[in-house]
Amino acid sequence: MKQVKLFLGPQHPGMHGNASIHMYVEGDIIKKSYLLPGMLHRGFEKTMENRTWMNNIGIIPRICVPEPDPNEMVFANNAETLANIEVPERAHWIRMLILELARLAAHLMAFGGCGGPTGLYTAMYWAQADRDGILTLFEEITGQRIYHMYIVIGGVRKDLPKGIEKKILDYVDDLERRLPDYEDLVLNNPTIIARTKDQIMLPAEVVWELGVTGIGMRSATGKAYDIRKVAPYARYDKVEFDVPTATYSDALTRIRFKWLEMHQIIRIIRQVLELMPGGKVREKALDGSALRWQVPKGQVYTAVEASRGEYGYYTVSDGGIMPYRVAVRGASFPQGLLGVEKYLPGHRIDDAALWFDTMGICSPEIDR
Amino acid sequence: MKKASIFAPFKGWKYLFKKPVTVPMDDIFKHPRESQDNYRGFHVNDWDKCIGCGTCEDVCPTGAISMVERKELPDVDGSKPERPAVDYGRCCFCALCVDICASGSLSMTKEYLYNSPNPEDFIYMPTDQDITGREHKAGYEKTESSDLLDLVRKPMEHVDANERKQSFIEIVRGFSKEQAKAEAARCVECGICEKTCPAHMNIPEYIRAIWEDDLEAGLNWLYQTNPLPSVCGRICTHMCETACALSNRGEAIAIRWLKRYIVDNMPDDEYEKVVMAQVSAKGEGKVAIVGAGSAGLSAAYYLGTLGYEVDVFERMPLVGGPMRYGAPKYRLPDDVTTHDIAFIEKLGVKIHTNTEVGRDVKFADLRKKYDAVFIATGYPHTRGLTIPGIGHENVKMAMEFLAASTDYETGRGEMPGIEDDVVVVGSGNVAFDVARTLVRFQIEKYGKSSVKMLALENEQQIPADKEEVEEGGEEGIVLHLGYGPKHIVTDKKGKLTGIEAAKCIRLFDENNRFAPQLDEEAIICVNGKQVYLAIGQTSDLAFLPEDLKDQVKIERGKIVVNKDNQVRGVPGLFAGGDIIRGMDIINGVADGHAAAVGIDHYLRTKMK
Amino acid sequence: MNKHIESVTEAVKAKFDVLNTEIVRDTQAAVDLKPGDVHAALAFLKAQGFRQLSMLTCVDWLEDKEFQLVYLLFDWDKGVRLQMRARLDRDNPKFTTVTNIYPGAQYYERDVHEFFGVEFEGNPMSYKQLFLENWDDIPPMRKDFNSRAYSDKKFPVREYKKDFTKAGDGK
Repeated sequence: MKQVKLFLGPQHPGMHGNASIHMYVEGDIIKKSYLLPGMLHRGFEKTMENRTWMNNIGIIPRICVPEPDPNEMVFANNAETLANIEVPERAHWIRMLILELARLAAHLMAFGGCGGPTGLYTAMYWAQADRDGILTLFEEITGQRIYHMYIVIGGVRKDLPKGIEKKILDYVDDLERRLPDYEDLVLNNPTIIARTKDQIMLPAEVVWELGVTGIGMRSATGKAYDIRKVAPYARYDKVEFDVPTATYSDALTRIRFKWLEMHQIIRIIRQVLELMPGGKVREKALDGSALRWQVPKGQVYTAVEASRGEYGYYTVSDGGIMPYRVAVRGASFPQGLLGVEKYLPGHRIDDAALWFDTMGICSPEIDR
Repeated sequence: MKKASIFAPFKGWKYLFKKPVTVPMDDIFKHPRESQDNYRGFHVNDWDKCIGCGTCEDVCPTGAISMVERKELPDVDGSKPERPAVDYGRCCFCALCVDICASGSLSMTKEYLYNSPNPEDFIYMPTDQDITGREHKAGYEKTESSDLLDLVRKPMEHVDANERKQSFIEIVRGFSKEQAKAEAARCVECGICEKTCPAHMNIPEYIRAIWEDDLEAGLNWLYQTNPLPSVCGRICTHMCETACALSNRGEAIAIRWLKRYIVDNMPDDEYEKVVMAQVSAKGEGKVAIVGAGSAGLSAAYYLGTLGYEVDVFERMPLVGGPMRYGAPKYRLPDDVTTHDIAFIEKLGVKIHTNTEVGRDVKFADLRKKYDAVFIATGYPHTRGLTIPGIGHENVKMAMEFLAASTDYETGRGEMPGIEDDVVVVGSGNVAFDVARTLVRFQIEKYGKSSVKMLALENEQQIPADKEEVEEGGEEGIVLHLGYGPKHIVTDKKGKLTGIEAAKCIRLFDENNRFAPQLDEEAIICVNGKQVYLAIGQTSDLAFLPEDLKDQVKIERGKIVVNKDNQVRGVPGLFAGGDIIRGMDIINGVADGHAAAVGIDHYLRTKMK
Repeated sequence: MNKHIESVTEAVKAKFDVLNTEIVRDTQAAVDLKPGDVHAALAFLKAQGFRQLSMLTCVDWLEDKEFQLVYLLFDWDKGVRLQMRARLDRDNPKFTTVTNIYPGAQYYERDVHEFFGVEFEGNPMSYKQLFLENWDDIPPMRKDFNSRAYSDKKFPVREYKKDFTKAGDGK
C-alpha cells in the first residue's frame, strides 16, 4: 500500500494546542511521524531578557496557557534563591492554594479533554463548566481569570479576600460530590474503555529513555515520583496526600489517574485552608523601587510538579536589573517531540489525537 | 467492567433539574456578567491626584502607556502637566502601573466589555471615566503588600542630643556606600525635583550615578548647575524633597544627603579634574562682583569657566557670606565651606576680602573700570523691632551675633558675651540657628543651658524646618509660640530681666498679608538677661551712588531685574541673590548662573 | 540540606577534574567541568542514579566569548538535582551528542542548535529547522541578535493618529 502524507494539522478538534503532526500513513496505521512545533513560538526566552525582574510578570504566565501559575512560581522561586529572600509563611500557603487550584483546573480540562478525540463531548462540557467555577475563584483572589500575575518575587501580590475560604470549600465539596458521576461518565463508559484499555501503552523503559515525568512516569514505573514528595517546595511537606501509582500504563490508567489525583488535590486544598497562618504576604527584600531591583549573580533551576509533570525554569543572573537568560523546561517536551517521533508510529490515525491527550502534551510550553 | 445495569440510563435524569451553566447569547450584552471585586479591568485616573511622574510608563511590560502633555493643566511645582494614555491593543491588564503609581491616582474598574469598529478608539487617556464611558464600579486597588515603591527612607544617623549640644560637632553623619546605593535605588526618575529646584539641578541623573557607583559622572552633573555642592549638600532648603513624587504617599528621597555623599567621597585630585574640565573657551572682558555670597560665588565660577577675568569684592574678612557667617558650624563645618570656595579660586577668580564697596572702593569706579558689574550683596543686617526698650545694650541682633560666633569658632575672636538665661525672638531657621548656638555657648561657659524662644507664629505656622524644631527641642530649647513682643522689661537698676508679650489672635489678614492682631489682655513675661532679635534680615544698598539710585528700581528693599538678571533700565548692571528675591542659598546659586549667562551674552554682543 | 548532595559532589570531584562546584540550594548543586569530561561524567552520574536528563540548555556569555552548555540531571530516588556545566568556544561551537547516554537529549540538542548555533556531532537531525520556519538571520538567542532591530526591519510600526494635547476629555 502506498504511503500517504498527512498533517494532523493545528486546527483539529482533538489537538491540544497549535502544533501539527506530520505523518506518513499506510492505510490506517501511522508509519512515520514528526511533530511540527513552532506555530506558537513567541520568542519568550529572548523577550524575558529585555524586561526587568518585575516587568517579566506580564509575560511569564502566557508561556503555558492551560496552567499559568507554575510559571510564576518557578520564576519567583529562582530569584528568591539567588537573592536569599525568605518568603513569609502565609505566602507559602497561599502559593500552595493557587498551585493546587491551577492543577485542578488543568486536570479537569485534560480529563474532559479526552472527550474531544473520542466524541464524548459531554465530558468536555461538564469539565469546562466546572473549570469555570475555579476561574471565578481565581478572579476573586487574583484579579484575572486565566493569567493571574499573582505570585511575585517575595511572596504574592495581595492577601486573600474576605470570605473566600467558604467559597473555595463550597466549591470543592460540590465537585467532590460529583466526581463519582465523572467516573461513571468517562471511566465506566464502554466506548472509552474500548478505545483506551490496553491501548497506547507506555512501558517503563520508554519513560526512562525519553525522560517523561508526571502521570506517565508514575503509572509506568510504580513509584511515587512526584516532586512534591521527593523534593518538596512551598509547604508540601506539611500536608498529607497520596500519590497514585501503577505499573501498567495504558491510556485508561492514565485517564483514571487524573481522576484519582483530583481527589488528592481536594484533600490538599482542605488542609491548606485549615492550616494557613496569618501574617504578611510579601517580603520587600530587594532595595528600591521595582524599576531598580537587582538580583545577585548566580544560576539556578527550580522545578515544580505541574499537572503534566516536571515544569521548570533555569535562570541565569549577572547582577543586573534584567535576567541574563531564562530557559523554560516544558513538562511535555520529551513526549511531545521525541515521543511522537519514536513511539507514535504503529498506532492508528484516530488514536493520534488520543495519544496526545493521554500523554499530557501541551504545545505552548514546547514552543515557548 | 461492571455489568451494565438496567437503570443505568436513568442516572442522567437527575441533570434535568440542575441549573444550566451556559449563558444565552443575548445575556452577554443585555445582562453582562459582573466581575468579582478584585477584577483588573479598564483604567481610571484621578487627574487631581495624578502628578504626571511617568512611573506607570516606565514599568509597563508591554509599553502600552505613554505620557502626553496636556496644555490646559497648570505647570506648578510638584507635578508635571502630563497625563498617561493607555493603548489597549498592548495592555496586558497586569496592574503593575496601579501598584507603582506614586500618588495613588490610577486604579482599575470592573468593566471588561468594549467594542468599536475604529482601531483609533482603543488608545485612550483615562480620566474619571474609563474607556467604555459607562457607569462603572471600582475593581483592583493597590494595597500595602502589592505596592512596588519603596516608601521608607533609609535612616540617616544623627549624633545623640546630649552629646551634640556640648560642642559644635557636625550633627549628621553621612551615608555609607551601601546606604547611598539603597537610597538611590528608590528613585523613579520622574524629574519633578529637577523642575522644582531653583537651579534646575540634574537630580535624577546624579542619583542614577550614585546607584551605578560612578561618582565622577555624578560630580560632573553637580557642577553643571551648582559650584557649591558641599555646602548645599548640608544646608540646602531642599525644595526638591518636598516635591519628590514619593513624598505623596511616603517619605521623599534623601536628595540632599545623596548630594553630600558624592562630594564627600570623591578624592581631591579627581574632584579637581572634574571642576577644571568645565572650563571652556576664553571670553574677553572683565567683570566685577560685589559680595562673595552664594550668588556672587556662583556667578564668579560660571564666568570663570567661560574665561572672563573676575574680581569679587567682599567686605568681611572671610569669604562665604551667609554660608560662612550665618550657618551654624554644627550644620555646616567651616572647612566644608572653604573646600568649595578653594575650587572656585583655582579657576583664577580673584576675591578681595576686607574690601567694602562704597567705602574702600567707589561703586562708580567699578562701573568705569569693568565691563559689567554684578551686585550680590544679600541681606547682611538684622531687621529691627520698634518696641519700647529695644535700644538696651543687652538686646542683640542675630546676624552680628552669628558673625561673631563664627569668628570665635575659627579662632579669630573672643566668645561673644552671653548670659546664662536668654530669650530669642523669632521662629525662622535663623532664629533656631541663634538659639542652638546659644545652647552650645551656654553649656561651654556655664555648664547648662537656658534658652527660650518667643514667636508670633503658632505651631502650624512656624517657618523653620521641622527638623530644626525637633532637634532644637531635643537640645532643651523652650518654645513660647503665638505671642507678639510688646516691650523690654528692665529692673530698677536698669538691667534687662525679660520681654513682655501679648497673645497673637490672628497672624494673617483676609488678603493673607502679614498683619498680626494682639490681645492686650493676655500677657506673658518671658524672663531672660539678654534678648536676641531674629525676625528677619534686610539689605544694605548704601553703596549705590546718587545718580544710580534714581535709575535703579527698588521694591520693598529688593532690586527689580529682568529675566537674565539685568537691572531694569541700567545696561551692564546685574543683580542676583537675596537682594532680588530674598530666599536661600540655592536661589542665589541659580541667580548667579543665570546672571553669568546674561553677562556673557551682554559682553559678546557689546564687544562685536 | 539534603544529605546526598555532598556525597555526590565529592564523588564527582574525586573522579574528574572539576573547575568549580557550588551548592545552590539545599537540594541542588552545580559542577563546572571541561568539555572533554562531560560524556564520562554523564555516564558516571547516570550509573549513580541520575536517570533523568531534565533539560539541556545553553547560555551565551558574550564578553567571555563562550557558550556554556548546562545539563540538568535529577535523581528521583534521592531527590537531588545536579547542574553540569561546560564552556565551549563561541567562535567554533562544536560538541558531541549525548544521545547515546540520554536518548531524550536529541530534541534538546536540536533546540540548542537552532537557537544558538552549537553543532552537535552525531545528531544528524539537528540541521533541520524545528521551531523557526524560514529563518534568515543569525541564531536568535545569541546576545548579539537584537530582536527589536529585527522586528523594526521586518514589520511596519503602527502609528496612532490621535491628538491628545487638546483640552477636553480623553477620547
